Amino acid sequence: MSIFVETSDVLPLVDLEIALGVGSLQDPAGQEGLAQLTGHLMRRGPRGLSQERFEDRLASLGARLSVQVSMRSTRVRATVLRRHLEPLLDLLAGVIWQPALRARDFAKLKRQARAALIARLDDDETLGALCYREALFGEHPYSRGLSGNAQSLGRIGVRQVKDFYARHIANGAFVIGVAGDVTESEARALVASYFPRIGRRKRKSSDVPPTRVRRGRHVVIVDKPERTQTQLFIGTLGARTRDRNLFPLIVSNTAFGGTFSGTLMQQIRAVRGWSYGAYSRLLHSRQRDAWYMWTAPAAEYSADCAALQLDLLEHWVEGGIKKAELRFAQRYLINSHCFDRDTPSKRLEARLDVELLGIPPSYVEKYDQLVARVTRKQANEATRARISHRDLTIVAVATASDVASSFERLPGVKSLEVVPFDRG
Amino acid sequence: MGAPEVLIERLNHGVRKRNARWTFVGEHAFGDALSLRRFRLGNGLTVLTLVDRSAPTVSYHTWFRVGSRHERPGKTGLAHLFEHLMFNETTNHPPGEFDRLMERAGAEANAATWTDWTYFYENAPRDALPLLIELEADRMSNLVLRVPQVTSEKEVVVNERKLRVDDDVEGRALELLYASAFRRHPYRWPTIGWMKDIRGFTVQDCQAFYRTHYAPSNATLVIAGDFEERKALSLVQKYYGGLSGARGPEHSTPSKEPSQRAERVFELAAPTPTEKLLIGYRAPSFSDSDTPALVIANEVLFGGHSSRLYRLFCLDEEIALSVRGSISPFIDPGLFEMWIFLREGKEKAKALALLDREIERLGSEGPTLPELEKAINQLELSFLHSMETAGGKAEQIGFYETVALDGAAVFDRLAGYREVTADDVKHVVAKYLRPSRRTRVEILRKAS
Repeated sequence: MSIFVETSDVLPLVDLEIALGVGSLQDPAGQEGLAQLTGHLMRRGPRGLSQERFEDRLASLGARLSVQVSMRSTRVRATVLRRHLEPLLDLLAGVIWQPALRARDFAKLKRQARAALIARLDDDETLGALCYREALFGEHPYSRGLSGNAQSLGRIGVRQVKDFYARHIANGAFVIGVAGDVTESEARALVASYFPRIGRRKRKSSDVPPTRVRRGRHVVIVDKPERTQTQLFIGTLGARTRDRNLFPLIVSNTAFGGTFSGTLMQQIRAVRGWSYGAYSRLLHSRQRDAWYMWTAPAAEYSADCAALQLDLLEHWVEGGIKKAELRFAQRYLINSHCFDRDTPSKRLEARLDVELLGIPPSYVEKYDQLVARVTRKQANEATRARISHRDLTIVAVATASDVASSFERLPGVKSLEVVPFDRG
Repeated sequence: MGAPEVLIERLNHGVRKRNARWTFVGEHAFGDALSLRRFRLGNGLTVLTLVDRSAPTVSYHTWFRVGSRHERPGKTGLAHLFEHLMFNETTNHPPGEFDRLMERAGAEANAATWTDWTYFYENAPRDALPLLIELEADRMSNLVLRVPQVTSEKEVVVNERKLRVDDDVEGRALELLYASAFRRHPYRWPTIGWMKDIRGFTVQDCQAFYRTHYAPSNATLVIAGDFEERKALSLVQKYYGGLSGARGPEHSTPSKEPSQRAERVFELAAPTPTEKLLIGYRAPSFSDSDTPALVIANEVLFGGHSSRLYRLFCLDEEIALSVRGSISPFIDPGLFEMWIFLREGKEKAKALALLDREIERLGSEGPTLPELEKAINQLELSFLHSMETAGGKAEQIGFYETVALDGAAVFDRLAGYREVTADDVKHVVAKYLRPSRRTRVEILRKAS
């Protein structure tokens, strides 16, 4: 049984996490959204309790519960007032081992999931982020949205959910974490009492094929009416978790677009006032995940902003970062690292990530050293090795008639596609 | 921590300048284990300290009693623009250096502006505290305001407005709601300002605003986290003690909003896939004795998956994807905002009828005892969550000090919730949640 405990008696609160290395990557082709629907149906409570009574019980304990599904994990997360910890554990054990998975609840959940797909069309940044992953990864499983789409949800019934639960969750090797106002021995005794079956089935890592970069610069305009500004995502493939270039790239990316003082924010916001925010993000996973820049410039100069970003990107990749930039990024990353562990729940999260996502323990335990050790040469070589300024995916959520022709004229653009924002 | 009187005596030893001499004002228990202390410098600067060694971090907040309510028509958004400008150049630090120094130290520095206040904060490793004190004191009195910075920052704010309002259907609806619900009070204009006003600001506007509002006597510092109180106060004395206490605004009372006698209804057509209802009932101020009961009513109606309206709208009737309610935490009476996010093709009229029915029922029958217990436990959970980090504690203290005039009152509010009875809830629902006291914005789908 894998149990992790982080104790703190500062507040009479306890966070609990029961997690499993199963996520949307296990969705069968054509049934995207299955893992998330399964998690959300479990969230509707255990056998013997109607959803209404389950929700009443949770609320009266002063507890909050969510089931969060990512590409590679399902996490049942709860927070509760310390005095109600045991009754909550009892409820959670039911959610994990005896979820009701009722057909009636499922029908409602599915209608809710469909409504959520429609409602998210209001959020331009979310639209852009989803479209960016689709365009960047193409047919690769990393392109899948966690929530699926109207067609894939249509193919999922309660039978598929029950099968998914039985196959991937019922006897899965759960990892359990407890953080907050509880001693280590108390936590272990409680977990042993309520979750005696944890860890029976060995977790099998899922095979994911390598991601492939699409050659050239490709633009996708997500066409939405009346946009006064453009949600702009420009990027390419980034790094793998177990990539020797990862920490050099983290440092280099921090200098480029990871802080307010970074190149992107300074050139786009501070000097020109073109966007409220401007940053670059490096994601890592088992295979190379995404790297991207985000800005939100006004529609009238969004292509100018994109052109500037392309210049800055090329300069960063080809020219590298300066010694002072390296030192600054290292100091920022090391000094601010205390905020990754200033609460028991954050410390717990880091330990669970190691267990669930295959992150080497040294990334957590020796973070400061790994950052400090990076040399300028390593940072710049890692940037050149991993970040391409030639092979780029450019996604703009904008009113196509206002911006399409100017984006087409960006240097090196091989293709431009316009898709309606509500295409489904 | 030593006895505060002895501490003050030592800090004031040999200090002749009146502005730099400390006064100890008082000490209050902050929960079971911590203590909140209040000090004042001779120039009027109030300092609240909360030593909490649970993590090696410190949070440094500067709350100014200036927000959009202190603006005037034609100059709306100035408090917010000014918040941006405070990150620019000072006589001691060139443009960009403030952020560079903060980030190099590992500090997160940011700020926020709303109707009644503006605050600046840094969450930093504990060793960075001297830097935070020096830089915050510096920008309180030495800001340089020039045309290039003001021009560039205006453009940033224009883009922020497009992001948060013009291209955001909820942002547009909220703006319309407040502009329609208030006719005299400054709460009627948006904190980010009207676009025309943002574009029209001059350097002179900004300089006048700085002179008027950014003074020690108009500010409260909150220092929370792992720090030595004596050293921190000594540094505050060193860097702020030289600032004049003479400046500071004369706060005039804003025009009182006349009572609302009839429902106001507006339509907003937007390129949105689903229709929505936004309703604002005139609500009491944050410090009003009715507010705790109204907060409980909000929990009963909107608090989580077991609340009456989530259950009715999202599970039983399935006409909405989500519902949301909140009471504006303002110094003067604000609004009880309610959102109903309808599902595709569902009727607003039915949603409104159901809402009216449930409010009527709560007003006539009140909540059940289990509902009261749930509401109080959920509020306690939210409160404890907000106190998890040094930054969370500092924010709560600063907010209560500025809006409720007592930083230590944060725990009183929680105790106040526990005293609310079902009759109290019935009373406030019947008093405030009447259709004649509301403004309604109906968000309609605009055909492509």
